[in-house]
Amino acid sequence: MLTPIPHEFAIGGVYLPPMLVAAAFGLLAALMTTRLLNRYRLSKHFFYPPLVSLALIIIYTVAIGTFMIGA
Amino acid sequence: MILTTRCKEAIKTALAMTIAYGIALSMAWDRPYWAGLAVAVVSLSSIGQSVNKAAFRMFGTLVAMVVSLVIIALFAQQRWAFILFLTAYAGFCTYMMSGSKRAYFWQVSCFVAIIICIDGGTDPVNAFDTAILRAEQTGLGILVYSLIAIFLWPSSSRDLFNAATTDLACSQSQFYQACLGLAKGQGDEQEIQRLAAQVVQARTRFDQLLDVAEIDSSEVWELRRPWRQYQRQDKELMQALERWRESLAEVQVLDLQRLLPKLETFAAELDGRLAQIARMLGGDAPERAPQGMDLPFDRDALGSLSHFQTAALVVSRSHMLQLEQLTRSMFETVSELKGFSTARASSSPSIRPTVLFLPDLDRLASVVRFIAIMGVVWLALIYVTALPGGVGLLAFAGSVGIIIANTPQLPVSVLFMPCTTSVLFAAIIYIFVMPKLSSFLGLGLLIFAVTFAICYLFAAPRQAPGKAVGLSLFVTMASISNEQSYNFLIVANTAMMFPLLFLVFGLTAYIPWSPRPERAFLRLLGRFFRSSEYLMSAMRWDTRRTPTRWERWKKAFYEREVATLPAKLATWAPQLDDWVLSTTSMEQVKALMTSLQVLSYRMERLLGECGSPQAQYLVEQLLEDFRAWRIGIQACFQQLATGPAARERETLRKGLNEKLELLEARMQDVVDKACGEQVSNHEAESFYRLLGAYRALSEALVYYAGDAVAIDCVPWREERFA
Repeated sequence: MLTPIPHEFAIGGVYLPPMLVAAAFGLLAALMTTRLLNRYRLSKHFFYPPLVSLALIIIYTVAIGTFMIGA
Repeated sequence: MILTTRCKEAIKTALAMTIAYGIALSMAWDRPYWAGLAVAVVSLSSIGQSVNKAAFRMFGTLVAMVVSLVIIALFAQQRWAFILFLTAYAGFCTYMMSGSKRAYFWQVSCFVAIIICIDGGTDPVNAFDTAILRAEQTGLGILVYSLIAIFLWPSSSRDLFNAATTDLACSQSQFYQACLGLAKGQGDEQEIQRLAAQVVQARTRFDQLLDVAEIDSSEVWELRRPWRQYQRQDKELMQALERWRESLAEVQVLDLQRLLPKLETFAAELDGRLAQIARMLGGDAPERAPQGMDLPFDRDALGSLSHFQTAALVVSRSHMLQLEQLTRSMFETVSELKGFSTARASSSPSIRPTVLFLPDLDRLASVVRFIAIMGVVWLALIYVTALPGGVGLLAFAGSVGIIIANTPQLPVSVLFMPCTTSVLFAAIIYIFVMPKLSSFLGLGLLIFAVTFAICYLFAAPRQAPGKAVGLSLFVTMASISNEQSYNFLIVANTAMMFPLLFLVFGLTAYIPWSPRPERAFLRLLGRFFRSSEYLMSAMRWDTRRTPTRWERWKKAFYEREVATLPAKLATWAPQLDDWVLSTTSMEQVKALMTSLQVLSYRMERLLGECGSPQAQYLVEQLLEDFRAWRIGIQACFQQLATGPAARERETLRKGLNEKLELLEARMQDVVDKACGEQVSNHEAESFYRLLGAYRALSEALVYYAGDAVAIDCVPWREERFA
């Protein structure tokens, strides 16, 4: 499978690095996931949620960066 | 046109900011925004408040200057030693900041030391100039704002102070009347709770305004010693009233009129004294002086009571006698303050507490968190290249981090909106407006307009953090200087710095403990009961053995824990969210807090009574019975330390009542056998006070268990994402 070629994002002439954009989306996705896990009381199954949050941010950032944005 | 106070205050700050910038630029000083920052933070609603804060800022800056120059001089070439000593000093300031009346002094001392160290540390040749420049600019900002505050629409806090003083006296008088109603069986517990909260609010306002009025009112300054004495007496009076109130539950069932025949006269005299104090504080001469009073028992009626009932009555009476002494002293102090008496009020002998260093675990936790914040930023700065903001990130982490670390109840997310809005606002001014300006006239008008707008829109006291963030980010991002240049990177780097800071604050939020309010609540409750358990285990009557220094230190530490933890818990309670309150209501949590406070007072009382000399005969006879009771209570504390609902109310009541009944029977036996020579009247009264203290603690524990059982701790303990 071909992954997207890394490229910068230009907003009004300001160039944003792809990793920054991936990290922003990764953070949002992780926040949404943790909210949903809280909402359905699934969070109680985790031993230490703060580490899970951090892991989710990293996983989403890497996944979005690799497969969607190209970072 | 009549300007509102809000408008006048905004004009004063805006004018001071513009003049401070004007002077700094005309003197060709580097970084004039430091003067602007000083104006931004010291602008408060009265001269006294502003001068108070300005003095803390100036002295904090001077101390930080010395400390940072010493650190730079000693460790300029040793990176890790430099970081270690700077962080250690910042940690020390963090510890000193919480719980101190000079919190702002320590805060400024911390972040200014960091700023000078990172500026001077990277350029040691100019370190001295940087430190002096910072002190100069701060002094300039403070001087300009102070002069404007004094000459332009000066607002003294004297009227506010007088109003706050009268308000406090009236609230206390109402509280006393409500408690008296309770003693007569007519009181409303909810109304008393409301009045108690009202007194606390009135006293907080009085304390704040006294600090300020001492500075901006010469009358208050001249009488500052009697005012401080009144403040101490007032605090003691409220504590005595609280203790009397919580002792009433056990005497309400008794026929007080028969047992204390002069109770009506006594209560009316106390009421009259409080009314006269409020009258004098309002500026009117007193209508009468305090009358001498006593509150004797009816010995015949007393004989019909059980030992525990006698004990409860003795305790309640001793609280009323204490109220009599306090109101008399307060009357004298207020007479002197208001010039109705030429005689100096007798000052109560100040008891110097034993000088022992007792670390506060919560303050130490703040230090650990702050060091973690600084550590992460230091490491990021060293090992990550081209970090947005560079060393500026460290300065922001230090100045915001010390506040975050000292207010663990405050979620980091509350800073997100003010910071984002301020960055956007400052960016618009910097990118679109500032490049169009070509002279100080235009720049001055811009500084005035922006400062006025921020101060006017964020004028309410609760909006003060928003105002400080807005003004600070405006002056930082605008980076006004004589050789003004514009660089988009300043905006981009400042904007990028904040997500990084929030990330660091978020990552360190769990150091050393979880920031979730319900977890903090359970943790503090556990600490309260573990401390109480230790105090019970350390309670001995063996007067022949002198406790070691270590034992005294431990006892003092746990006593302080028991006395302060209810107030700490009260700061966490409002933060409990819907998740934990899904099965428990806020009223139930508040009821738990009240029972805990009562438990704390009663522990304190018991410890006090245990320290007083007792009749040797009674001690010897009842030693084993009291020991059994103490071990029972100790076991209850041990169980309650695991969670609020660890003991069923009825089981607890049954267990404690059994012990108390046994004790009462033994008491009867021992007292009947005791002849007059073995136990004097005074010793008997002292022993009854001790017995009353034991009984009161048992009762408080039962009430606590009753309130605690209503708390459903299952969702509190469940793991979830913050």
